Amino acid sequence: MSASPETTGTIYDIGYRRYDGPRLGRRGAISAIVGAGLRAVFGLGRSGRSKILPWGSVILAVLPAVVAIAIRVLAGDIIELYSYHNYLWEIGGLLPIFLAAQAPELAVNDMRQRVLPLYFSRPISRLDYVVAKLGALTIGLLALTLLPVLLLFVGRVLAAEDVVGALGDELGFLPAILGNGLLHAVVLASIGLAICSLSGRRAYAAAAILAIFLVGSVMSAMLTELGGGLQNLAPFAYPLSILDGTRQWLFGESVAGSPVSSSDVPLPFYALATAVLLAVSWAVLALRYRSVST
Amino acid sequence: MALISTRALTKRYPGGVTALDGLTVDIGEGVIGLVGANGAGKSTLIKILLGLLPATDGDARVLDLDAATQGGAIRELVGYMPEHDCLPADVSATEFVTHMARVSGLPSGAARERTADVLRHVGLYEERYRPIGGYSTGMKQRVKLAQSLVHDPRILFLDEPTNGLDPAGRDEMLALIERIGRDFGITVIVASHLLGEIERIAGWLVAIDAGRLLRTAPLTSFTERTGQLLVETDEDAAPLAERLVARGMDASASGRTLVVDVASGGGAKHAVEDAVRDDSVALGLALVRIEHGRHQLEDLFRDDAGGDG
Repeated sequence: MSASPETTGTIYDIGYRRYDGPRLGRRGAISAIVGAGLRAVFGLGRSGRSKILPWGSVILAVLPAVVAIAIRVLAGDIIELYSYHNYLWEIGGLLPIFLAAQAPELAVNDMRQRVLPLYFSRPISRLDYVVAKLGALTIGLLALTLLPVLLLFVGRVLAAEDVVGALGDELGFLPAILGNGLLHAVVLASIGLAICSLSGRRAYAAAAILAIFLVGSVMSAMLTELGGGLQNLAPFAYPLSILDGTRQWLFGESVAGSPVSSSDVPLPFYALATAVLLAVSWAVLALRYRSVST
Repeated sequence: MALISTRALTKRYPGGVTALDGLTVDIGEGVIGLVGANGAGKSTLIKILLGLLPATDGDARVLDLDAATQGGAIRELVGYMPEHDCLPADVSATEFVTHMARVSGLPSGAARERTADVLRHVGLYEERYRPIGGYSTGMKQRVKLAQSLVHDPRILFLDEPTNGLDPAGRDEMLALIERIGRDFGITVIVASHLLGEIERIAGWLVAIDAGRLLRTAPLTSFTERTGQLLVETDEDAAPLAERLVARGMDASASGRTLVVDVASGGGAKHAVEDAVRDDSVALGLALVRIEHGRHQLEDLFRDDAGGDG
């Protein structure tokens, strides 16, 4: 049998070095996956080309807030194009694009190239892995669902003549801003990752995500046009209007142009639909990752 | 102390397949060959020991941790190299192994340092900054080995590590495994169905067949002498056999080969060898080969396995 390390000291001193430092275990593993996931979401450490979509989306998402603040500073309170409650609905188209481009970066290759057994042979469970990936995608999405609205918030406070007074006025909106941003990020990340877990290639996953939002949006518009009671179903065809309805139920204020405003369905049903979206997404993720063999 | 011990470990899959059937074994330090035919239960055993698969019955302990309930703690201290391809194509070896070190729980500075060390040990130099997708099979196997080694595990589980390698690649991989066991002081469990390879590197063997323990013993005891002398001549060996039998020895010929029972020589050193030499000279036979018969590892898996072992 081989000797213990003590007796082979002379050999490994010049060759192999043992590791006696800290082992961060499961917590370290999860934070490493979240960190690597965030890098993937924003294309960091990758080619310039893979940064275009994520950073382009973030810039486009932030732009209206910057413009709104600029108008406010230069021309005063004349028009209000973007407010806290309608901001995400107005930039809504960017969310599926960002999701379709970046969610597959996180999840598809680990599954397709069978890297998962290497993760599962480390101090994490399958659930830890999925939660870490969901966490990374959620945090990434907050750059679109929270950052611009927060900028708007800061801008409105700082652009006011009486900053302290404005802070007092605007502070009441903060829970809605944070809540709505988190709601959108969590739900979109869950839907996106669930779709990715079912597809074998990044391109298919991206196409499937885009298709769900695109088809949903068109169907929603058609149902609204048709009227005759069908407009009540319209919001439920499109995930972003389900989220808008949920936002309205939680924090109030309707958005003109959202199918929610032309529907008579009571608001709690949107929350219910959101819960169903989350439950289905998480069930898909749980089942899919449980079936991966090691 | 046994690093790994199982007691009546049984695994039945839902389909009714029994992968492990009351396996009880203790495994100590060194390079251990876990041998058995495909489907003998080697991979199932490894997955149970890693805490990735629940056993149907019995229990398993690794480093004195219960595999059923302390899998996470076990996986922090062991490394695993799966049989199949498992590497992402579009990242470099350095990036990937560093990430895997961090997922094993190493802080990022230590992860980077150890990645550089380990990639050097497995023999990846300039290539390590290029995407893995462009690597040869041999290089990919080295990356797989590196990711299992990067967190300095106490035990390394290698599942068919020479799969898909050409002969030169096999030699290099086997030499590496031997070095990890001998110089790095890490216990290596090598699961393989290729006995010839295991024979070259393992000090101890655990042989399983159909989920049962066939035998566990030092490698040498698997390949010790059979007590028979094999003789090959250039012509028919029957006359030689007759003369040896006439001397009272237990000899039998078949074509140009002859088998003599060494013990029948009366116990004197080289008595049988001397008799073979003298008689073949007398008969004018040329000797092609004389050697002591050894048990072959393959004998283990024959129907009468263990009967005379």
